[in-house]
Amino acid sequence: MLIARRAVRLVFVFFVVTFVTFVLLDLTPGDPAETFAGLNATPEVVEQIRIDLGLDGSLFERYVHWLGNAIRLDFGDSVVTRGFSSFDLIRDTLPKTLELMILAELIAIGLAVPLAIASARRPGGLVDNLSSSSAFGLLALPSFVLGIYMSYVFGVKLGWFPTIVDNLPGLNDDPIDNLRQMLLPSVTLALNLVAVYLRLLRSDLIETLQEDYVMLAQARGLSERRVMWRHVLRPSSLNFTTAVGLNVAGLVGGAFIIEILFAINGMGSLVIRSVILEDFNVVAAVVAILTVAYVSLNFIVDLLYAWLDPRIRHGAR
Amino acid sequence: MALVEPGPTGVKTAAEAVAAVDHPPADRSSRQLGVLFWFAAGWILLLVICAVFRDLLPFRDPDALGIRTREVRKFEDPSWNAWFGGDGQGRDQFARVVQGARPALIIGITVTLIGGFIGSAIGVTSGYLRGKVDTATTVVIDIFLAFPGLVLLIAVRASFGNSMLVFIVLFSITSIPGYARIVRGASFALSERDFVDAAEAMGATKRRVLWKELAPNVAIPVLSFAFIGFALVIVAEGGLAFIGLSLDEVTWGKLIAEGTGDIKDHAHVSLIPATVMFLTILAFNLAGDSIRRLYSPREVATQRRLRVEGIADVNPDGSVLHISDLYTTLHTPAGDVHAVDGVSLSVRAGQALGVVGESGSGKTMILRSIVGAFALSDVTRSGTVEVAGVDMLRAPRGQVLRTLGTEIGMVSQNPLTALNPVRRIESQIIEPMMVHRGTSKAQARERALELLRLVGIPAPERRLREYPHQLSGGMRQRVTIAIALANEPKLLLADEPTTALDVTVQDQILRLLSGLQQEREMAMVLVTHDLAVVKGFTDSVAIVYGGQVVEYGPTSEIFANPRHRYTVALMQSMPDLDLPSHSELITIDGSPPSLLRPTPGCRFAARCPAAQDVCHSLTPAASERDDHWFRCHFPAEITPVSVGAPADSEAD
Repeated sequence: MLIARRAVRLVFVFFVVTFVTFVLLDLTPGDPAETFAGLNATPEVVEQIRIDLGLDGSLFERYVHWLGNAIRLDFGDSVVTRGFSSFDLIRDTLPKTLELMILAELIAIGLAVPLAIASARRPGGLVDNLSSSSAFGLLALPSFVLGIYMSYVFGVKLGWFPTIVDNLPGLNDDPIDNLRQMLLPSVTLALNLVAVYLRLLRSDLIETLQEDYVMLAQARGLSERRVMWRHVLRPSSLNFTTAVGLNVAGLVGGAFIIEILFAINGMGSLVIRSVILEDFNVVAAVVAILTVAYVSLNFIVDLLYAWLDPRIRHGAR
Repeated sequence: MALVEPGPTGVKTAAEAVAAVDHPPADRSSRQLGVLFWFAAGWILLLVICAVFRDLLPFRDPDALGIRTREVRKFEDPSWNAWFGGDGQGRDQFARVVQGARPALIIGITVTLIGGFIGSAIGVTSGYLRGKVDTATTVVIDIFLAFPGLVLLIAVRASFGNSMLVFIVLFSITSIPGYARIVRGASFALSERDFVDAAEAMGATKRRVLWKELAPNVAIPVLSFAFIGFALVIVAEGGLAFIGLSLDEVTWGKLIAEGTGDIKDHAHVSLIPATVMFLTILAFNLAGDSIRRLYSPREVATQRRLRVEGIADVNPDGSVLHISDLYTTLHTPAGDVHAVDGVSLSVRAGQALGVVGESGSGKTMILRSIVGAFALSDVTRSGTVEVAGVDMLRAPRGQVLRTLGTEIGMVSQNPLTALNPVRRIESQIIEPMMVHRGTSKAQARERALELLRLVGIPAPERRLREYPHQLSGGMRQRVTIAIALANEPKLLLADEPTTALDVTVQDQILRLLSGLQQEREMAMVLVTHDLAVVKGFTDSVAIVYGGQVVEYGPTSEIFANPRHRYTVALMQSMPDLDLPSHSELITIDGSPPSLLRPTPGCRFAARCPAAQDVCHSLTPAASERDDHWFRCHFPAEITPVSVGAPADSEAD
């Protein structure tokens, strides 16, 4: 029931976001038909192209038209790069962005969970103080600032990693070179997340640690590690899971900036280039795909949420 | 104050224990802002000075090219001549960074004001009106959060150009949801208004309520978030500049972006403005955080530690539980709490001991000291706790854990919080068997079914698959008993096992516990505030007050012949069905003593009707009779002969 309600809401989010984007792009100065036709085209040619591209008709008609095609993954041709469809361009760039984001998310969770547990074991202890202040510092480092520091230290001074991602091989073809190039960007993107996740999880863990059932688990002679991982972590991870889902939108923005900084030819580079060159089919396509990704991811988070807490599953909360 | 325990709201943590026991005067030092705040304030002040007076300050022209002025070389390293060095065109980087302070502050301040105002208005409306308005707002906020903000910024920025006004409008719009969410949450709490009502009911004036309760709940979070939001605006501008969509003005983001291409050879060009931006964001975050801390309850910064002092004592008669001269001290920020203060108790197999006292008397802490589970506290125990021959304070960790798992079963006060809400009943019952006995899962499951039947749970197969919230309170308590019995312990510790249950269920649970205890020849410690429970189900009784045992004896003897004045008062406050119905219940005035700063003399002196001067200065020693003893200078049924003669208490 709850799941159904969430699903409806998420579909609604999808429509609104894509429509708003569509309107915004429509407001932008410049006529895609003219851009497409080139400088020497006669008004008649432009008009014909306008009809061909489905650019006549009211805003709403055009949105519906676009949406109908979008469902079949037809987002129209890229107006600037002739001969390529918007979908082709996205298909070429998406894997890199996706890899960057997934790596960052994995690194962030992999660092944040053990750190939060170590901090919560002894609040006010050395580990806690160190990780809390580092988290505070990291929160003040925007990804581009952190990225500059990282590439200066690990790329320029130490020379361990390239400062620029160049000719990135596929993850299947040469995983080692791929990861070597992607590590610096992913870690940069991850560190901000670590700070957010660490703070959230730590305070929830500390709260759970005060629960009766945790005291009883300790009184049953279970080891500290077992108590933490088996009894405390799961009931403490609800807010954390929500944050992971909600953060995806922010992560996309962060990933785009990281792509520029490390010259990764991903979706961010694509969309920024397309905006500047007024290649709006591509922009709309990227927004649509991002929104779908965001919406489905948050739906998965909702399912995960119900799995994590049976009380939600049974509507008892 | 009446001697009635306040139900299932048991004391949970050391911090709460302190709060329940004593209210130390608010520590003013915790309300201070700290060094970091003043660093932040200093930095922000510096920025303001640069932004306001930049044209008056004697710095170089930020746009003057080095080729013309010959003052700064291309990519000059930082030096006395140019503090932050020169950029790719020989412009003085320091002058440019100073130049960037103004747009940063203008955008930051206006966006914070506009976004904060509109966001707060939306949040308040949504939080107070709730219902459909609130749902609509949450959906809109959801959409905003789902929106790839950067794409919006890029699209709008492309359509409307790069004037500062466009930036301000854009950032304001994107900052609204953040404020709306925070204010909504705060107003939600306010519209409950329970605490506001409560404060008014307790005689606070309206203005005092507004200032003391509302300010920290709405104004402070918003103010605190405004600083952090300010930092976010600077980040957003930097991000946009980074992808080539900046203002016409010189901004820090632009400076960073310009320098990144030369990071290999001339790192200072981007590193320095990046660091200035980092320090600025840090300063605003610090300021916001300091403001939040100012009004949020202080975090308990206690170390979680469990220490042991002293040497072990021998267990003379082979009791299952042998406690001798046990002191348990919780080290809290407010001071040391002497929760258990020299307690000695023994329970033999098949015997049940009742531990009776008011809340805050330290009786639960005796149980916690046996098992060594204190949540997040810094605790020192000294003396002896021996369970089934194992020194629980000094034995190796593995042996202690093993004893906890196999020799001790524990039932806690509130069955609603005693079971892990996210794990099935099955996994909670079989865990101790699998961990401590190495029982196979299938066998453990069989045994779990047996246990559930034993504690009287119908349809155990189904219950095993269920979660705690699907069971009633009484059923849950039966489950915790089943878990406690899983490894056939020799010692059963029950902490107010029926307090949180319906009256109709209380007796069933007690009979179950007592029956199992006798049948299995277990030693049992039954902690309760209810003398009636003790009367029917225990062999001996320890009356606890102020962390000490003040009277101890066989149950029948205690009831027939209570000696300590506190025990007498407890008896009088107990409803007795044998007495005529109009008999008055006598309550004990005052509240239990502070365990934080124990007073000299008898702990009960302040509330004792028979107290004399000596009671306030000299702690009474335990009387010497073995099976029934007490700590009282002037025990009941004895007329005080002379003041200052504690030996009199031994006459019987």
